[in-house]
Amino acid sequence: MYKRQLVVGAGISGIRAALDLAEFGYGVTLVDRSPHIGGVLSQLDYQFPTDRCGMCKMLPMVNRDASSQYCLRKGLFHENIEIRLSTELVSVEGEPGNFQVSLRGQPNLVDPARCIGCGECVKVCPVEVPDSFNAGLSGRKAVYLPVPHAIPNAYIIDTNACSRCGECEAICPTGAIKLLEEVRKNFRILVVDDELIMRDSLKAWLEDEGFAVDIAASGPEAMNHLSKQAYELMLADIKMPGMDGVELLQKAKEIFPDLSVVMMTAYATVETAVEAMKIGAMDYLLKPFDPDTLIPMIIRIYQDLEASKESPMEVGALVLCAGTSYFDPSGGNNTYGYGIYPNVVTSLEFERILSGTGPNKGRLVRLSDNKPLRKVAWLQCVGSRDIQIDADYCSSICCMHAIKEALVAKERAGGALETAIFYMDMRTFGKSFQRYRDQAEIEHSVRFEKGRVHSILHDENSGDLIIRHVDYSGACIEEIFDMVVLSVGQRPALGTTALAELVEMPLNQWGFGQTEPFSPTRINKEGIVLGGSFSGLKDISESVIQASAAALSASRVIHAAGGSLSPEITPADSFPDISQEPPKVMIAVCTCGDLLLKLLDTEQLIRCLKTDPAVDQVAFLEQTCTVTGWENLFELVEKHKPNRILIGSCLPYVFTQKIKELGQRVGLNPVLIEVVDLMLMAQSSKLKAETPSADEISKINSELLAVLGTGLARLKWADPNPVPSEKILQQALVVGGGIAGMFSALAIADHGFQVDLIEKEEILGGNLNWLQRTLEGHPTKTLLEETVIRVEKHPLINVHTHSQVLSSYGQVGRFYSTIENNEKGAVTLEHGVTILATGGAEADTTSYNYGSSEAIVTQKELERKIHDDTIDPNRLGSIVMIQCVDSRQEPRNYCSRICCTTALKHALNIKEKNPEINVYILYRDLMTYGFTESYYTQARKAGVIFIQYDLAEKPQVTPMDGSVRVTAVEPIIGQKIRIDADLVVLATGIVPKLPRDLAESFGATLDPDGFFEEAESKWRPVDSLKEGIFACGLAHSPRNITESIATAEAAAQRALRILSYERIPAGKVVAEVRHSLCNLCERCIEACPYGARVVDPDLEKVLVNAAMCQGCGSCATVCPNSASTLAGFLDQQMFEVIDSALEGTYS
Amino acid sequence: MSPAEKIEIKQRSETAPEPVIDSLATIRDMVSACIQCGTCTGSCPNAFAMDLTPRQLWYNVLMGEKETIFHSKTFSLCSVCYCCTLRCPRGLPLTETMSALKQIAAKENLAPYKKSIQFYKSFMESVRRHGRVREMEFMTLYFLSMKNPFMLLKFAPLGMKLMGKGKVSFEFPSKGNGALESIFRKVEELEQR
Repeated sequence: MYKRQLVVGAGISGIRAALDLAEFGYGVTLVDRSPHIGGVLSQLDYQFPTDRCGMCKMLPMVNRDASSQYCLRKGLFHENIEIRLSTELVSVEGEPGNFQVSLRGQPNLVDPARCIGCGECVKVCPVEVPDSFNAGLSGRKAVYLPVPHAIPNAYIIDTNACSRCGECEAICPTGAIKLLEEVRKNFRILVVDDELIMRDSLKAWLEDEGFAVDIAASGPEAMNHLSKQAYELMLADIKMPGMDGVELLQKAKEIFPDLSVVMMTAYATVETAVEAMKIGAMDYLLKPFDPDTLIPMIIRIYQDLEASKESPMEVGALVLCAGTSYFDPSGGNNTYGYGIYPNVVTSLEFERILSGTGPNKGRLVRLSDNKPLRKVAWLQCVGSRDIQIDADYCSSICCMHAIKEALVAKERAGGALETAIFYMDMRTFGKSFQRYRDQAEIEHSVRFEKGRVHSILHDENSGDLIIRHVDYSGACIEEIFDMVVLSVGQRPALGTTALAELVEMPLNQWGFGQTEPFSPTRINKEGIVLGGSFSGLKDISESVIQASAAALSASRVIHAAGGSLSPEITPADSFPDISQEPPKVMIAVCTCGDLLLKLLDTEQLIRCLKTDPAVDQVAFLEQTCTVTGWENLFELVEKHKPNRILIGSCLPYVFTQKIKELGQRVGLNPVLIEVVDLMLMAQSSKLKAETPSADEISKINSELLAVLGTGLARLKWADPNPVPSEKILQQALVVGGGIAGMFSALAIADHGFQVDLIEKEEILGGNLNWLQRTLEGHPTKTLLEETVIRVEKHPLINVHTHSQVLSSYGQVGRFYSTIENNEKGAVTLEHGVTILATGGAEADTTSYNYGSSEAIVTQKELERKIHDDTIDPNRLGSIVMIQCVDSRQEPRNYCSRICCTTALKHALNIKEKNPEINVYILYRDLMTYGFTESYYTQARKAGVIFIQYDLAEKPQVTPMDGSVRVTAVEPIIGQKIRIDADLVVLATGIVPKLPRDLAESFGATLDPDGFFEEAESKWRPVDSLKEGIFACGLAHSPRNITESIATAEAAAQRALRILSYERIPAGKVVAEVRHSLCNLCERCIEACPYGARVVDPDLEKVLVNAAMCQGCGSCATVCPNSASTLAGFLDQQMFEVIDSALEGTYS
Repeated sequence: MSPAEKIEIKQRSETAPEPVIDSLATIRDMVSACIQCGTCTGSCPNAFAMDLTPRQLWYNVLMGEKETIFHSKTFSLCSVCYCCTLRCPRGLPLTETMSALKQIAAKENLAPYKKSIQFYKSFMESVRRHGRVREMEFMTLYFLSMKNPFMLLKFAPLGMKLMGKGKVSFEFPSKGNGALESIFRKVEELEQR
């Protein structure tokens, strides 16, 4: 039984989760409240570390023709995903695997199928409001494009701003705009009030909104109306002579139980109104009220009632990716003058200033006075780490965001920009973050100023901003900046509370989604999972990881509820074989109404086109984008039975699905139908001129001819052979039996696939065998025991302990790996995908005289020794913890992410056991990202002393008799201090345990620190560039238990997407080898970035794994013999395309 | 204090408290959540005159450095403008902490703060007697309490100037009518508790 899944929120995590589920074979409905996909990322053009976008890398890599393959910021299409924008979830009933949900969509006043994006409506719209896409920095009309670059890009109407003047409706050339009056007229409202003025004004207001309104002056009169005609809604005053409102309500409800009633009341009778709601009134309005209160309420009721007419949708599971929003710095103390000084902006606003689609078109100038930016400051922790505004958490992303903005701005300014970042702790806790920061500081001279700026002063004359701050010496420094960017923290998204109430899920104390201990996605409610930053404060890669994990949890729900996994096998469409027929092309040119006909010499065009013998028919159609237009095309095809069709229209992207349908209806392989873009040409030419001259007509003709000619050239060579596919061995190998390995093995096995789990040690569990509890106080023992039992008892998991992988070769679908067992010797396992979960360990060190005294231990040793009581905090006077031992400096220039929280965990634990003890933590930047910040506050409150040290002056550790002497420079007082400690604890960080040669034999690559290198650190965070290899846990990057589990589940999800196919179809565009021309020079093998090519030594042939090939064409360009070719891009074909295009240019 | 100087962190229990102060623990609790971001120092209008910046003062409070704290002028220079309290991201009661330090200094009658303690006391004595300050009486009380005749001479030119402008009232010191006596007694009573 097949179930749809519902993904709420179409930001990147929603898109990731939806795509994961769709690639898996599930039907997905993806809804978003806003009118566009992409969430906040649609406003952010650049992401570090590449400082570019790269969102498209989330698109499917195998079976990629099921999905759109163009810029994901422009739009998304996948045959299994239904996207519903401007839509909200309104109710959820039922149980896991079997939910009934209803959705409420904002009525779309512009028909996207008819809108051609001409923008005429914008010219006439009289309403101007701030443009939310540009964070309010520019204005837009009430009819607008939600994002400037979407495809197809239909205008929408902001119903809150629209004055319903009707100008746009009148001017729209395609009649796409319907201001809904007709539909709303069916919604009849009865207004009952004894005051004439009230009745009349209500009637006027509501009729302005397009509703049909009747009025009644008393209860009996209202009853009379009700008996004569059906009403959807009644507005009834409570206080009326004779029959009062409540009595009317009772009587009306008796006869018409479906009638919705809203009571109107003065303050004095509000209790009566509440009573009325108990007996069936829907809501009440407090008198006096104005249209601004009334109208939104009535519209909401109207929309709710309209939505409830739709039958609820059946879904298996819900994935909530509702995201977060930004802190608004204009409230509270606002010592930075945001909203008051024009040149104080938020980080999001600055992002728009940088953007080419922003208010300045990317020019780096101030909006207020056009002064070029020469000096910009970033202030960190605005709205984060601030207890005064109930934000005792770190927003996790702002530090990197600020560095990125500084670098992009510097690049944009060509070096003529001075940048300074004012921070408290620079939280570079993610993979590669520290090197990025160092690069910014050293190579690009971004200035990092430690210190919090308390307020900003404004120079009224110049508009410049004056920042005063203190340095460590206590000296007060004053600096003038052109612009100040506030790195605003995150807040729960608008509507989070309502959504949480709707699905009855808990929120944490700051209002973010609360997940279960050790689970990144599950909440206390089975069947509903969280993805992305909805559960708080994540950057892109973590959001993407968590979204994949959420997709997995959702799939598990369905699987557990008896839903099947294997996708329905659609029988390969069999089309008549036309390979022996000569091309018989029908060219259908869309005239966009009668627009094109006026500007063209159609006779000449037909004559020219028909010089090519392949052209059989040339037809002109009105509006192929409409249903009627499409039906006309269908009839023509039926009549003339061409074997190839060329459509000249606008926006070829939009036609992907339509072409498939057309092909199936007329029995023509969709490969033989091609769409070329006439619109692009139309826009750049004088197509819209009223009366074109003969010269212009001939120019347009030749341009059109060239565009159609290129399509014709491609089409003549189109190859209708079926797309290749690769057989998949539906088994997985998981290397490493730590918590990550076990979780990914379980996830795959729970979906019914065989898993081999390899563990080097005698027992499963990895680092969890010595860990005791987490910072939050959750015991890890129970997690370990439960997981090990589930793994060992699972019928589909073969556990190989005492075993190691010696070597492996193969490609996605079939790998051969040799496993050596200590006793049983070597065996070779076959598997379709590989997950590397080889883990990591605490790094060894010789720094700080480690090893010379028993009183110098590592954090891991401390955890063990506290547990087995060899260290008793009650018998110690003082402890010094040193952070970042050998870390965040070359050669191990990365943050291990967990050491600061581990130190806090131990410090708090020790302080709890012995409040008298002195604990000193010597740190560089305290990495208590996310909600762990509150433990930092706790530790401070418990009396733990934090002393910051600098790399240039590291602490000195000297073992003494019975104690250890630590000296360090305390920067606040600027003096050297000495601590005689009973115990020194070193945080040495994490090193990976993934041997380079093993990784290489799998085809995976390692980063300079020995961690797994992702295909793309943000968008494909657990994939290897070579398809079929995934990584999770500490082998991937330093992370805590829950974060490791997130990667494990994400990796399993990515693997399952392949395992679910028996044969995985490749894309239409894949490389092929003409073996007769190939001389085995192997240049193509080096050139292939996806590892899709191998030499088979037995066959003496270069083979292409079609599922891994992404059709990039690198192989075809390096091949000296043209032996390597790309389907759809053959040499001859491309030459013809170029010839046609050039003809258009020269004629 | 130059940065080259070394100070030693001893175990807190071992520190021989020069003034006998136990209440530092409560003060420590008031600022324990401090993350030393420096917002207070940046905000402080009097920081330029302080020997320790407020941030340094809090650090010394956290470390229990009583000697350093009670040789510093910082807290006695606090003009109670509340800028730091308003802006502190940790929401710490910094102005109150400054006052608490002043109170300790007053209670212990610590030598370095003699002047400002006497100044406060003289001011309040005048208020106690008359319900408002009488400048002449206030100055008389202050100079008497300082037991330094040269001080009077030092301030004489300023006094003359103020008198010339009518800024100083000429009533002679008196016991007043004691209207506020009961309020002050009540406060003393409360503070005893």
